[in-house]
Amino acid sequence: MGPLSGALSGHLRGQLALINRSKSKDACSLLYRSVSSFCGDSAPTDEQADEGVGGSRQPSIESSTTNLASTKSVQQRRSLLEKLASDSTFVGASVASRRQQVRRNSTASPATAPQSPPTVPPSTSTVAPTGRVPVKLHSIIPDELKKDMIEVFVDGQAVNLPKGMTVLQACDEAGVDIPRFCYHPRLSIAGNCRMCLVEVEKSPKPVASCAMPAMPGMKIKTDTPLVKKAREGVMEFLLLNHPLDCPICDQGGECDLQDQAMVFGSDRGRFTDMKRSVVDKHLGPLIKTVMTRCIHCTRCVRYATEIAGVEDLGVLGRGNAEEIGTYVDRLSTSEVSGNVIDLCPVGALTSKPYAFTARNWELANKESIDVSDALGANIRVDHRGPEVMRVVPRLNEDVNEEWLTDKGRFMYDGLKRQRLALPYVRGPDGRLQPSDWQGALQEAARALTSVPGEEIAAVVGKLADVESITALKDFMARLNSQRLYIEGAEGQENADIRPSYLFNTGIAALEDADAVLLVGTDLRSEAPLLNVRLRKAFRAGTLRDIAAVGPADMDLTYPHEHLGDKAQDLSKLTSGKGGFAETLAKAERPAIIVGAGVLRRPDRDAILGVVDRIAKQAGVIKEDWNGLNVLQLTASSTGALDLGFVPGPGVKKDAPPAKVVYLLGADEGLSKFVGEDSFVIYQGHHGDQGASRANVVLPGAAYTEKEATYVNTEGRPQRTMAAVPVPGNAREDWKILRALSEIAGVQLPYDTTDAVRRRAAEIAPQLERLEEVEVSEVSMAARTAPSKASAGPLLKEPFTRAVPNFYMTDPISRASQTMARCTSMFKSQKEVDAQEDWLLHADWGKQKAAKQPAL
Amino acid sequence: MWRLLVKHSAEAVTRVATSPAQLPCNRTLSSLVPIVQDRIVTAISAASPYHSDGDCSCSGSGSNGFSASFKKYSTLSNLHKDTPDNNLKTSFDFTPANYKKIEEILSHYPANYKQSAVIPLLDLAQQQNEGWLPVAAMNKIAKILGMPYIRVYEVATFYTMFNRGKIGRYHLLVCGTTPCMLRGSREIEAALIEHLGIARGETSKDGLFTIGEMECMGSCVNAPMIAVADYSAGSEGYSYHYYEDLTPDSVVAIVEALRKGEKPKAGPQTTDRIRSAPEGGPKTLLSEPKPPKFRDLSQV
Amino acid sequence: MAGALKVLRHVYDRIRGQGIKETFVKAKDQGFINSLLDGNLFETKVLKGEGKLVGEDKLGNKYYERLTDTQFGRHRWVEYKDNTSYNASTVPPEWHGWLHYITDYTPSEIQAFTPFYSKEHKANQTGKGAEHIYHPKGHFQAKDDKRTRWQRVEPWKPT
Repeated sequence: MGPLSGALSGHLRGQLALINRSKSKDACSLLYRSVSSFCGDSAPTDEQADEGVGGSRQPSIESSTTNLASTKSVQQRRSLLEKLASDSTFVGASVASRRQQVRRNSTASPATAPQSPPTVPPSTSTVAPTGRVPVKLHSIIPDELKKDMIEVFVDGQAVNLPKGMTVLQACDEAGVDIPRFCYHPRLSIAGNCRMCLVEVEKSPKPVASCAMPAMPGMKIKTDTPLVKKAREGVMEFLLLNHPLDCPICDQGGECDLQDQAMVFGSDRGRFTDMKRSVVDKHLGPLIKTVMTRCIHCTRCVRYATEIAGVEDLGVLGRGNAEEIGTYVDRLSTSEVSGNVIDLCPVGALTSKPYAFTARNWELANKESIDVSDALGANIRVDHRGPEVMRVVPRLNEDVNEEWLTDKGRFMYDGLKRQRLALPYVRGPDGRLQPSDWQGALQEAARALTSVPGEEIAAVVGKLADVESITALKDFMARLNSQRLYIEGAEGQENADIRPSYLFNTGIAALEDADAVLLVGTDLRSEAPLLNVRLRKAFRAGTLRDIAAVGPADMDLTYPHEHLGDKAQDLSKLTSGKGGFAETLAKAERPAIIVGAGVLRRPDRDAILGVVDRIAKQAGVIKEDWNGLNVLQLTASSTGALDLGFVPGPGVKKDAPPAKVVYLLGADEGLSKFVGEDSFVIYQGHHGDQGASRANVVLPGAAYTEKEATYVNTEGRPQRTMAAVPVPGNAREDWKILRALSEIAGVQLPYDTTDAVRRRAAEIAPQLERLEEVEVSEVSMAARTAPSKASAGPLLKEPFTRAVPNFYMTDPISRASQTMARCTSMFKSQKEVDAQEDWLLHADWGKQKAAKQPAL
Repeated sequence: MWRLLVKHSAEAVTRVATSPAQLPCNRTLSSLVPIVQDRIVTAISAASPYHSDGDCSCSGSGSNGFSASFKKYSTLSNLHKDTPDNNLKTSFDFTPANYKKIEEILSHYPANYKQSAVIPLLDLAQQQNEGWLPVAAMNKIAKILGMPYIRVYEVATFYTMFNRGKIGRYHLLVCGTTPCMLRGSREIEAALIEHLGIARGETSKDGLFTIGEMECMGSCVNAPMIAVADYSAGSEGYSYHYYEDLTPDSVVAIVEALRKGEKPKAGPQTTDRIRSAPEGGPKTLLSEPKPPKFRDLSQV
Repeated sequence: MAGALKVLRHVYDRIRGQGIKETFVKAKDQGFINSLLDGNLFETKVLKGEGKLVGEDKLGNKYYERLTDTQFGRHRWVEYKDNTSYNASTVPPEWHGWLHYITDYTPSEIQAFTPFYSKEHKANQTGKGAEHIYHPKGHFQAKDDKRTRWQRVEPWKPT
């Protein structure tokens, strides 16, 4: 949240209105800080704000309070937003979201504009209605909602909270812990576990707090003998049929039931009948089921129905015979199915690859970033000694909420297979021979120095980090090479204007969109978590209209209008009349998402021209809303584009392959870069196509083994942490390049990671500010759009999927056995589904979205 | 695969358990191997036809291909098991006449809430399909209503009135709730079991009768009673009659009449009363009803 | 103090019941005299008083029970075969249940149900040498070759 650097503002002066977007969970503290700094009493608030920020970074998956607003009362929030929008005190006359207000506040932070008056008068709502400075800064009640507050009393302590919230949320707000199994802030309320019973004055019975709306003046008691007795009774019932197999249960040690039984459980039961047994279900290669342990909280059913959008789990039977299941044998075909493992409060659904490999108390963990797609989901790498044992998501409201894709979660076993542990040099017999570093580096340097610069090309792979790309770019500059390419971002050869390759709306802010057009992208395989966001917005009712021009037979898990699978279908929207074009034009916050796969097509300029026209027609870019997005496919591409890793002006498009090719982990589509007689230097961590073709192999580090920066598709730099050591003789990537440059006689001027990062920040200052997104209001449209003539005609080929197989996209996931299993099993399941015409979700097509019952 | 394993292991346990020489002391075993003992006890209780604990041992679900032994402690009967006449490949379609009925049923509900028609449609499919619901029928209904398959399965497994395995043409549902039990429903059921030679939840060899149990059907005043669901003539000829005031002999007589294809008169069997009226005619309200008393306002 | 009084009472009861010579001979046979040098054994043998021998396991540990004049929950005990270095892990599982009041049945009273996957009981092998001890996979002394050769990553081999 530092002040904007003068250099950056100067660099982009007049072009980019920079807005410092913060993580929304920091939003409150940010707001407090900026407001208090204006008001002149900063000290205590600042301190508390820092605490708030620190607290929010705890890797707590079960954070109960953090998402109060986004799930519970989006509708209410929206109506309040609209009310606020009409209020003239706010700058944005159109609806300004909370995030954007925060951004504006921080733009006018004292460092850049010390004397200027605040652009937004500090809203009175930042201070609680009672007039006192709120103590609990982790409260995430949005300021808009603070206008309409009620007061309830939790154990005698007064709590203010918006109307419509539940008793349980009131208790959370008061800092009182309520035990729960079925309640989850991101899922609908079920109220069937009964663990959250509290006493409410004047109520004859204990009430289930998760399902009871808080009323003004309600007196809630959570520590009375009645409450204790009620919860003990519930716990005894839950344990009736629960097997006592904690010692062999993978959930043991991190089990909600175990923890809560320590408080409310008895040391003996009064149940003398037999425990029932439940048949285990086969849900695929990722989720292990021990259904006898199930306590029927139905979190998994609600997750599958509401979040994943794949309705194949249900509650079967009744009474004592009730169970969770699919009735017929079928696998769960969602790309985000692994999250039910985190959701399950007991050991009924556990991770199959992790089963019996470690106990959770043996694990150390490092907070890291997922590199399996361009979203940069926040993860925690759990390792035991030098082995990665599992990967679980971390809470980050702005990126992944608390979800993680199956690929990000389960591909870690690929980190242990097919690893490059030694340098290799291709010998005279045409075979790769193990070598030492010196030999390999000398061989590589010899090849690089033996040809002129224009005969050298460098390709950045899908998993390359910012540090190594910086080093590679500098290295290539010293070798006079301009032939720089990015794997997975082919066709994006202009990185001058940052918004032209970013997801400008922002991942979290996409929820505020009210009409979305998908161009050539199958979100479900390219960015499943973004798809989850769209589905969430659709279910919340804010997003009404979604249309797609893209691959045929896409199942996006929410209703959408499929406008066609050819580029010509897209150009029909330019008229702005009729059908979806009109919807888009009428929308207040329309968004267009262009998949990076589209940019690989030869007619990309023509398609982008059409997209530009649609965007202009529909007013996709507004003063406070930039709805024109490019969705990158790989973890490295945004960072590489930020660093300007694109072919220089002197590079011909149809030049023959270079004589020496440096692959920084690039493995796919090598034929474009590598000729028959090219000398290939492969630096990477997995033996894949690149290493097989290489003349020199330099073993690098995978994302769990280095502290490296990755930039996600919305331009958010995030940093991984080294959890485990590199295997064998491998080295950190930028160090390899540094060593090679010295041997090649063009020594790179940095010796420490910090120095590399400083160099990266010289090229692209935003890379220095982790976790922050700098958003400009200029869009793709600002670049010199190619004229119709130069862009060429639209091709007739239909759009194809950029990611044909979600489970195998990069060297790690290709080496993973789990992902291989997923590929084969889910492929066969999908074939069966297609054959049977299986209905996985409500028949959206026939029901107009607007007519859906309130959710 | 797992199901097979469960089934086989259970059979093995059943074999062990039913040979009394090898039966060790139950109580001691329970401290050592509660799970195995669980199965043994289940098997023991299944071995006797009269384990009438009265919980969740209702109709059709048991005829899913599994022995009744699993009913009490396992949820196995909730699951679909592929059989030649009940798998995802089999097809089911409503008759044209029933499609008209479906149209009529759907007209009762708002268009965006047509999922509400799932129970009437399941009932219709069951009537049409000889009293049971193959998975194909549930899938068909899901498609008609535009809802995910699992949502239909949930409903069909929840209600015990939906049979998910083959049953006989006549489903004999013995009321086992307290008033009927006090008036001798156990003897009624025993008579049926003895006469037909099948246990509760089973179908007779000729495929005509299935004995099931129902909870209170509301004719306690005529206890004991049975309900007979007649699936012999599709949804057109479907009937669901109560036979009341039964004795073990009269219930056997009803079964025999049904076997001959006759339609025994529904209602009280052994008494001459009309429905729930007192035996031998009305006992109260015999005189002419008196007019209500009016005050003579002129006297006031 | 109370303990000493209890001992004296035990001794007095025995002498009164059996005569002084008989008491002495019996005490020697039953190891009472030896126990004077071993505090733990003394407590077991003398403070507990005389117990009923319930059984003996395959290793020779003896199991006693005393139902009268003893606090419930302390009325069962084991006397190890090896008085000099006794080890609680020598109690086999079938006796463990009895000794810890999990069950009232001694192994001789029940037909012990031995699952097919169970291994024979062994006492804790710590200190008995490398071949008896658990070594994690990858340890150079790990039991079989496969575990010894385990590597945390499987290196790529060029074709």
